[in-house]
Amino acid sequence: MKKDIAVSAEGVTVAFRPFVERKPTLRKTLANFRSRERETVIALDHVSFEVKRGEAFGIVGSNGAGKSTLMRVVAGTLRPDEGRVVTTGRTSTLLQLGVGFNAELSGTRNIYLGGLAAGLRRATIDEILDDIVKYAELEEAIDRPIKTYSSGMLSRLAFSIGMHLEPDILLLDEILSVGDEAFRTKSEQAMQDLLDRSGTILFVSHSLSKVAEFCDRAMWLEKGVVKDLGPAEEVVERYRTAVAAGR
Amino acid sequence: MGFGDWQAIQSTLVAVSPPTGIFYNARRLRTYFTDLWNRREFAWFLAMGNLKARNASTALGLFWWVLNPLLLGLVYFLVFGIFFGGSRPEGYIAYLLAGMFVFHFTHQSMTGGANAILQNAKLLANLKFPRLVLLISSLIESSVGFLASLLVFYAIAWPTVGVHPSRYLVLLLAVLPIHVLFNLGLSAVVARLAVPFRDINNFIPYLNRLWLYMSPIIWPLSFLENAGPTLRRLVELNPMFPLIELYRSALIGAPDYPFDLGDLLISLAWAVSVFVLGVAGFIRYETRMVRYL
Repeated sequence: MKKDIAVSAEGVTVAFRPFVERKPTLRKTLANFRSRERETVIALDHVSFEVKRGEAFGIVGSNGAGKSTLMRVVAGTLRPDEGRVVTTGRTSTLLQLGVGFNAELSGTRNIYLGGLAAGLRRATIDEILDDIVKYAELEEAIDRPIKTYSSGMLSRLAFSIGMHLEPDILLLDEILSVGDEAFRTKSEQAMQDLLDRSGTILFVSHSLSKVAEFCDRAMWLEKGVVKDLGPAEEVVERYRTAVAAGR
Repeated sequence: MGFGDWQAIQSTLVAVSPPTGIFYNARRLRTYFTDLWNRREFAWFLAMGNLKARNASTALGLFWWVLNPLLLGLVYFLVFGIFFGGSRPEGYIAYLLAGMFVFHFTHQSMTGGANAILQNAKLLANLKFPRLVLLISSLIESSVGFLASLLVFYAIAWPTVGVHPSRYLVLLLAVLPIHVLFNLGLSAVVARLAVPFRDINNFIPYLNRLWLYMSPIIWPLSFLENAGPTLRRLVELNPMFPLIELYRSALIGAPDYPFDLGDLLISLAWAVSVFVLGVAGFIRYETRMVRYL
């Protein structure tokens, strides 16, 4: 693997069998046992790309294009049916509001839960706990169960935890669309800092202007297939035109 | 950043389609268990958190862990104590409770592992870590309950039938690890099945009730003397059989329940087989698990 590559995906293919695999019951499986040939949904179809160190890489596409599935494969929580993904460095995931969020537990306990699951030592978390809370601006709410938090508070907490794990690769899935303006400015600054110290960001968003403005390159996914890959502004422009033309 | 620093940053194969090659798998397995060891604080934190939460949400907290098998044991004591009458063994209450607590530990482990995975679905969806850590954390939780129940065992058996800790208690040092290994393997089997097929969780109480009746817990061992050799052999195939015998040796001791090395070896063989098969099946499956949550 080349040294300046942070994430490399080769021929990643993920197929879901919706009727049996999504919510299988014994009855359905037994019923389907004879007819082995079921309808499958290809979430990702031979997706290949490389992301360099220090690069912000955007992923755009309509709902169900496979963006979140791809993020899960890169995060290592979902094994593809075909293909492989190699990452270099520590990966931190901020997928849809939740680094290990258990709604019944307090903010503090969630920070420990997420940090320990990510592989940090408890002593390390003890040290950075105050910073995480302060950065998320949650000093007053941190001992309350997080089911009482607003969506903005949750995304601030998620972002703060993710950044304090000091990742080399940050996976962001629609995380920044919820915080308020002040926090958005602050988080964008943190992301820029990460890029400046040659960290890498994979960025999934429906906010096309954000992708065009923030990312160096972008990939356009449609029904699990790479439709376009190139400089972010150009890809976003072509995607916009296609959407406007009704495809 | 100099070239030296570069070397320190490892490339990680985060995701790969179904792997091939035995050497490749051996290396992956070693990485898996290293990762698991690095998450030991996570397992402990989760277990202690759940224990605390349980203590906070119900008035009797952890005591329910002890109370469930205890109350069930007392019911059986009243019903079958009268029923069996003269044929029940000396110190029946100690005989019964030792079996009930041991069985309850296994029962709790079986359902606990799958529940731990379902409860932490969000964690699983977002972070990559060895999923076995959740089963271990649930096992730590039920181990604490089991140890507490051993104290209760003596609190009841000592004043009533005079059963007290003896030097045979040392046997626990061998029996407990075997039991824990066995339970971990079983919880991996159940989790492997119950995560994709939620129905399984509903079957387990009935299945285990049957298992309880087939184990030498309620009925006295003397029952077997009247049974035919085939039935006897069949009953002794039950992995619970040697395990409970061992616990009775440890907790009650000689002369009524002498230690039998054969029981220890059979239990060990059961535990190792169930552990290896259960955990291997679970690890092979766990990267697909997120699809079912």
